[in-house]
Amino acid sequence: MNTHLKLSNVTKIYPGCVANDNISLEFKSGKIYALLGENGAGKSTLVKILSGVVIPDEGKIVLNNKIIKLNSPIDAKKNKIGMVFQHFNLFETLSVFENLIIDSGENIENLREKILSIMKKYNFSIDLDIPVLNLSAGQKQKVEIIRCLIRNPEVLIMDEPTSVLTEQETSELFSSLRQFSLEGILIIYITHKLKEVMSLCDEVAVMRKGKLVSVSKILDEKIETLANKMVGQNLKTVKKKVSKNQSINQLIKISNINFHSEDPFETNLENINFEVNRGECFGIAGISGNGQSELFQILSGEIISQNNSIILNDNPIGNLNPQERREFLMAFSPEDRMEQAAIPQMKIFENVALNNFKSSNFFNKGLIDEKKIKEHSQKILSDFSVNTNNVELKSQFLSGGNLQKLIIGRELITSPDLLICFNPTWGLDVGAINYIHETLIKINEQNKSIILISTDTDELLKLSDKISVIHKGKLSKLMNADEVTSEKLGILMGGGEID
Amino acid sequence: MPMKLLLKNLEYLWEEEKLIKIVKRDQPSRAIFFLTPILAIFLTLVAGGLIFFILGFKPFEALKFFFIVPIADMYGFSELLLKATPLCLIAIGLSFCFKSNNWNIGAEGQLTFGAIVSGGVALLFYNQEGFYILPIVILAGAIGGMLYASIPAILKTYFNTNEILVSLMLVYVSKLILDYLVVGPWSNPEGFNFPETRQFSDSARLPILFDGLRIHAGIFLALASVIISWFIFYKTYLGFQMKVSGFSLKTAKYAGYKGKKMIILVFLISGACAGLAGVGEITGPIGQLHREVSPDYGFTAIIVAFLGRLHPVGIIFASLVVAITYLGAETAQIFMQIPKYTGQVFQGMILFFLLASDYLLFFKIKFIGAKK
Repeated sequence: MNTHLKLSNVTKIYPGCVANDNISLEFKSGKIYALLGENGAGKSTLVKILSGVVIPDEGKIVLNNKIIKLNSPIDAKKNKIGMVFQHFNLFETLSVFENLIIDSGENIENLREKILSIMKKYNFSIDLDIPVLNLSAGQKQKVEIIRCLIRNPEVLIMDEPTSVLTEQETSELFSSLRQFSLEGILIIYITHKLKEVMSLCDEVAVMRKGKLVSVSKILDEKIETLANKMVGQNLKTVKKKVSKNQSINQLIKISNINFHSEDPFETNLENINFEVNRGECFGIAGISGNGQSELFQILSGEIISQNNSIILNDNPIGNLNPQERREFLMAFSPEDRMEQAAIPQMKIFENVALNNFKSSNFFNKGLIDEKKIKEHSQKILSDFSVNTNNVELKSQFLSGGNLQKLIIGRELITSPDLLICFNPTWGLDVGAINYIHETLIKINEQNKSIILISTDTDELLKLSDKISVIHKGKLSKLMNADEVTSEKLGILMGGGEID
Repeated sequence: MPMKLLLKNLEYLWEEEKLIKIVKRDQPSRAIFFLTPILAIFLTLVAGGLIFFILGFKPFEALKFFFIVPIADMYGFSELLLKATPLCLIAIGLSFCFKSNNWNIGAEGQLTFGAIVSGGVALLFYNQEGFYILPIVILAGAIGGMLYASIPAILKTYFNTNEILVSLMLVYVSKLILDYLVVGPWSNPEGFNFPETRQFSDSARLPILFDGLRIHAGIFLALASVIISWFIFYKTYLGFQMKVSGFSLKTAKYAGYKGKKMIILVFLISGACAGLAGVGEITGPIGQLHREVSPDYGFTAIIVAFLGRLHPVGIIFASLVVAITYLGAETAQIFMQIPKYTGQVFQGMILFFLLASDYLLFFKIKFIGAKK
């Protein structure tokens, strides 16, 4: 087989975001291609376009010198493009064989033989007659792969295939993929894991914020160069001046936090230790999905830990919930503005009431004091220059930047000692980003502290006094901002070591 | 292979964009929010008329027998209020659960258990008179309902069970307990082995409001529940927390609301309301315990709660509308020899059309095929 797949000028625009901005890419069989990028970089949209799930606004897809239209997954299958999604599409209670019959397009007698021969060829061993729910994640993935192989695909797309696999299963998957590639199947491998790209793929395309950043041969790349391409690098950024009177007045101490999750899509945390002093901004860098969200939840109290593992101002607060932690002057700004930090369907003043202190008296003897909340909201709107003064407005009518200003304002107006924020400028325009950055610098100047978890390296280099990198749930050693370079961060984010 | 076809079609609808594109509306208008229940009722009447037509009746006449004749006189109107009372009371309780993302499907069981406990207390006093008896009986019913609702709540909070399954299955448990009691230990010793208890004493009965009609003081309990729930929903911290939890459990967690406490609280409130509805039935029109204390009021109230948009005032209207289907079914059985289960058909259709029109409320449907 000699497959040649070409995307030219593919663009897909969602309301408020350009998911794919004029992407042109070329793939040829015999090679394994990596499509690398962070969450939200647009790689999922691109493969959804290739598998017919999403229809692009503009652009052409050319397969073997023929323009093809992919209006549905069925069109993709007809054109021999197979796709294995990150989340399996299997009926858990049906047997493996029954799952494969569905939509196979073959008659049942031939099908079993065909499956058996595929399994023999690639050395898969799965009992076809047991229910899918008894299979391990790796085996389920093999079932998905077999489902694609039944149709003799020319192109096989794997979307983040290793996120639920063990090391052993991962290496098995890699050797299968190499075998497919040798047989002429064109493989497109989507991931944000740099090591996998280095060990498996031949060529790599990097995407960032909807744009194609680079296409290159793996031999020409190193983990850190890829990491920098992925998260963006702009060394011209002015760094915040590191405060001269480096106080050693410790505010918060995190010790020995371990977190183990049953959910395979969550990351386990291992032995997290750090301290933050007053007036400091502690930055936590890393590629998304390395435990940031779990760490944020532990710091905010959404996940409770041992009482002594978090000490704030000499008070153990590890087993307090977020509301109780707020009483100790902590504030939180989660990553997800629309689903967690605020409720779009609620009015501005109602969203303000989510951050409720005893002293704020929003709720007097269990009753809502609407007047007080509205006054307080009014103050936030003007102090943090949100572009409305109507506290009755539903929050969904605020732009992302204004909503984030509202959230940061809500968290800061009570002048907390410590603000913990997670990707505070994610998806915002430049003006809003600058405003948030200035605000964060200002609170450091007021001798308040920040823990900034961010996947944006520029932001971290600009704002942090100390930086540590999180990789696979482990924190790297602490570095002072003046000794950090984006190169070093790149190595650490990819799981490498520095001295 | 129809199954295969079906799956293929499902595949189209599965992901966000296919031939038919379904787009979320930015903002469902508040007017439409309260108009869709009326649309649902209208569609139910149309579909109902069609069913009558297929069965060989004149649609308009049949609908008249179903929806107008039953409430044309004073007696009929009082019967309407009689049926609406438990529906309203239970639906108010359920709206506490539903508003906060807790799916209590077992109000029928909580009603039954409330009836059992209050009935047991009433039987203790069967040969006594006194003003104190009725309050004790009412309180016992509320507590019974709360106890029974606390089972799914506690299992959910501490063992992560699914409250839908647990609360639903407990309905059948409570009905069997009631069955056992009225046949066995509590059956009337002078009752010739009929499956029923003694009559309660007059002091254990809710007062009748008008001579000759069956409407009883239980309606005040329902009205009180409407006012109290309105106050809690819109004026209190608890109501605010329920609202936040209903929109996003993640936000509720982030705000630090004590999720477990709230789950238990809303189940207790819901159970108390269902229990009171049970008390209203046995101390009102029935006056004793027997096998059928409720014609599935607990299940029907789920429809009422949603038809009323989980809003206290909406629930009043919804309970009246749904109560007609009970009466209409009886009239239709008498005058047209249609099985009374037609009432349930109508209840089902109301919910069906409500859900269907809600879908259009939150989503727009675009046909991509037309674009080409």
